[in-house]
Amino acid sequence: METTEDQLILATGGYDHTIKVWQAHTGNCIKTMRFVETSQVNALDRTPDKTRLAACGYQCIRLYDLESNCTAPVINFDGVQKNVTRLGFQEDGNWMFTAGEDHRVRIWDMMSAPPHCSRVFDCQAPVNAACLHPNQVEIAMGSQNGGVYLWDVKSEVHEQLVPEVDASIQDVAISPDGHYMAAANNKGNCYIWQLSSSPSQHLSTMSPKKKIQAHSRSILRCKFSPDSRLLVTTSGDGTACIWKTEDFTKWRELSIKNYWVWDAAFSADSKWLFTASSDGIARLWKLHTKNCVRDYTGHTKAITALSFKDEIVAD
Amino acid sequence: MATYSNQHWLLSHIRNSFISTDDTGICETVMLSDDMPKHYLRKFQAASIMDVYRRSHRSQASQQRKSMPKTPDTATPTQRSAPLQHMMPPRIADPPLQEVDFVCYPGLDLSDDEDLDMSTHSFDIQMYPEVGAHRFRSNTAQKLEKLDIAKRKAARIKSVNYNEEVLPPDRKDFFKRKEVKEQPREKPSTSKTTAANVKRPEKNSDDDLSDEGVKSMLTEQLARSPKQTQNRFIEYARFDGTAQVGMPTKRINVYVNMLPEPERNYPLKICVLSTAKIIEVIGLVCYKTTLQYPDAVQLKSVQHYALYMTEDNDDMDDFPPLDNREPCSKFGFSHLTLAERRPLAPVTRIDYHNQLGTKSMTSEEDKVAMADAAVRALQNINLNGDVPDAGGGDGGGESPLDHVKEYEQRLLNHNDMLEAPMHRTYRVSIIDKRFFKCDVTLAVSGERIEIDQHKNTKFWTQRKPVSTPIDMVAHCEIVEQRQLKALLRIWLKSNSSSSMTTSCTSAPSTASIATLIPGSGSVGLIHSPASPRHQATHSSSSPFGLFGSASNIRFKHYDFDTDVHTAEQIRNKLNCILEMRASDIRREFLQQRERKQEKQLAKRQLKL
Repeated sequence: METTEDQLILATGGYDHTIKVWQAHTGNCIKTMRFVETSQVNALDRTPDKTRLAACGYQCIRLYDLESNCTAPVINFDGVQKNVTRLGFQEDGNWMFTAGEDHRVRIWDMMSAPPHCSRVFDCQAPVNAACLHPNQVEIAMGSQNGGVYLWDVKSEVHEQLVPEVDASIQDVAISPDGHYMAAANNKGNCYIWQLSSSPSQHLSTMSPKKKIQAHSRSILRCKFSPDSRLLVTTSGDGTACIWKTEDFTKWRELSIKNYWVWDAAFSADSKWLFTASSDGIARLWKLHTKNCVRDYTGHTKAITALSFKDEIVAD
Repeated sequence: MATYSNQHWLLSHIRNSFISTDDTGICETVMLSDDMPKHYLRKFQAASIMDVYRRSHRSQASQQRKSMPKTPDTATPTQRSAPLQHMMPPRIADPPLQEVDFVCYPGLDLSDDEDLDMSTHSFDIQMYPEVGAHRFRSNTAQKLEKLDIAKRKAARIKSVNYNEEVLPPDRKDFFKRKEVKEQPREKPSTSKTTAANVKRPEKNSDDDLSDEGVKSMLTEQLARSPKQTQNRFIEYARFDGTAQVGMPTKRINVYVNMLPEPERNYPLKICVLSTAKIIEVIGLVCYKTTLQYPDAVQLKSVQHYALYMTEDNDDMDDFPPLDNREPCSKFGFSHLTLAERRPLAPVTRIDYHNQLGTKSMTSEEDKVAMADAAVRALQNINLNGDVPDAGGGDGGGESPLDHVKEYEQRLLNHNDMLEAPMHRTYRVSIIDKRFFKCDVTLAVSGERIEIDQHKNTKFWTQRKPVSTPIDMVAHCEIVEQRQLKALLRIWLKSNSSSSMTTSCTSAPSTASIATLIPGSGSVGLIHSPASPRHQATHSSSSPFGLFGSASNIRFKHYDFDTDVHTAEQIRNKLNCILEMRASDIRREFLQQRERKQEKQLAKRQLKL
């Protein structure tokens, strides 16, 4: 029952106020952790050393130890206001970012004990999404008033764009190769920018690349695949669409009828996709065949967040 | 308080402690016959008592005679036969060598009856039967401990203030820009140019995006665990109530009877959502069992198992299992046993068939039916494994596997079977002459089916209600099924045949398109799908026209139009009743139909 390194785990959290940890390849639930009784799970991420799981929700941010049998958190943030919508870790686990509806994106120094806040960015509007550039210093953010920001945490310069007025940005993503940035809004549109940087400049420059009318209803998440060749958008219209980044045409459409698809995660080889949906089931899809190969059942309400950390195995 | 140096007290304390803490009661039975402290005491007293008496006599005498006081006695402690048997601590100084220091504790030896002598008990130990080995603690003690645990837990949780002052990192390299290395997408394409070129046509295809030559751990693990190895009970995992917030849950200790010896003696502790039905609890237990003891046992499907009431020492009670359809919150058991579903007791089956026996067996056919039913009943018992009857009765035509299958089928239908004979009514439309529909109430019970026309039918003339004994009913099927509606057909024995006329006076005398030969007495035509006039015309085209030649029994049918769900319900219920009765009519019908189909098949093949 222990979560050893050779065991791949999937973490899911949702409206039933619990976080479940699954053995990815069998679908067995290894562990269930009680989140905060008053909050759903907005986002989940694991520390790069895979030992801890961070979860955020309404007025709370918690870190859990995945290696112990204890289901209580190891770190709890006090005094959080409103929803914390996203969190994520720098690739060495040195710092963590959190984005919240208190208009702020914060950087937390995780090397000091206890963690402390080392940077704050004010978006002037509730922040719905944030994601870290693979260069580990830039953070892309999306706010409820439609703003998309790119912020260099090192030099603290930033840039702002508004791709569509009267639309709320629901998620932002940057491809692992650093070429593209995507921002998805509640109108079902997904905007793509090409990112480029030169050694002389602090911040990557964003040049508009494409607008995809991806879904008929609000997009909830967008994510690039680890090989940067695919982009997934999940939506309230009951589908997850996978787009080829080559030309941003639709490659696959996975359908979970009548349910919202809240979150998705690729495997390291970009061949599999996990989805979290409001029917309380997490699914694993083989993208090549569009078949659902595993169900992860156990949540009693909608699953709103999932986290999966895979590895490339050397042949 | 006693001194711990007093052997007598110690011995009796140890003894009492043993007796009072031993739940099994074995300790007591062993020790009762072997009361060491008393044993010792008696020994000493026996040895000393003479002296005592002698002494007291002597002293009395001497006191009377006002002779010398006891000084000589106290002065002779070394003397074996001279105890200082006076006042309080009755020191016995006379025992055989090893018991020199055995000192009687005051009061302990006073009474032979331990119950009267409270001093032999240790007051500190009091057992409450409710909590096993634990003592009840006061509420405060429990609260304090909870607080303590919470405090210790809280101490382990590091707390961070979200709104604290921003403290810029002092290390310069805290934020380090990393060169985004070009993705492997370039690398394989250069190294594998030739390979890619070879595969070019394939690569161009829409589906080929994923083949990059990289392999993830997930791919590897999935390949190693095909879907078949997935837990079959995984669908029941969602009834796990562990760590569920805001939902009522229930904790049950379940003994899993199928497990091998050591494991089955320990209950599986499960926490289940209170809303789960018993069948779902069974599924969850199966799921947990397979997780916990992956190799111990190969479990079958949930229908094979049932939850039985249990004492906490895992003795299964002889009560029937909990009803699969009930929510588990209905039951308050702390301990249950999961075991193979016990088959119905054989009596129920045989009793059921006895109903047949109560009828007057006038005709030869009745007797045959009776005998047949008896054979079937016997077979049923066999299948249930209740009676180790010689299995030769069934002619050996069926393989044991068929038996198992049939047995499973029976178990599946167990609940249906229990319910089937109960009286139920359905509102359906009967189809007359293939065109006209007429709303009727169809009542099905273990004894008969009844068709009663609704009172408010407009232009159709009122008809008498029809009642048909269940003995006359052969089969029920859904002949046509559309999106919502279904055409239900009930087959019954046509009244026109010679036998068994007595028992079905109230049934429609003739009414069928399937009757080959026009019925003799087609007077009381009620709700029949075809009038007698039609019978003749239809007879030639009737698919069951051959029935007549095969046996004396003819069949007719009623057609009903209703929704799919009701149709299925009626079909299941009716067929369940018929199957349980193992009626001759039904067998005959099915046989005829089979023959017919075979012939048709043969004909078709001939044509080809």
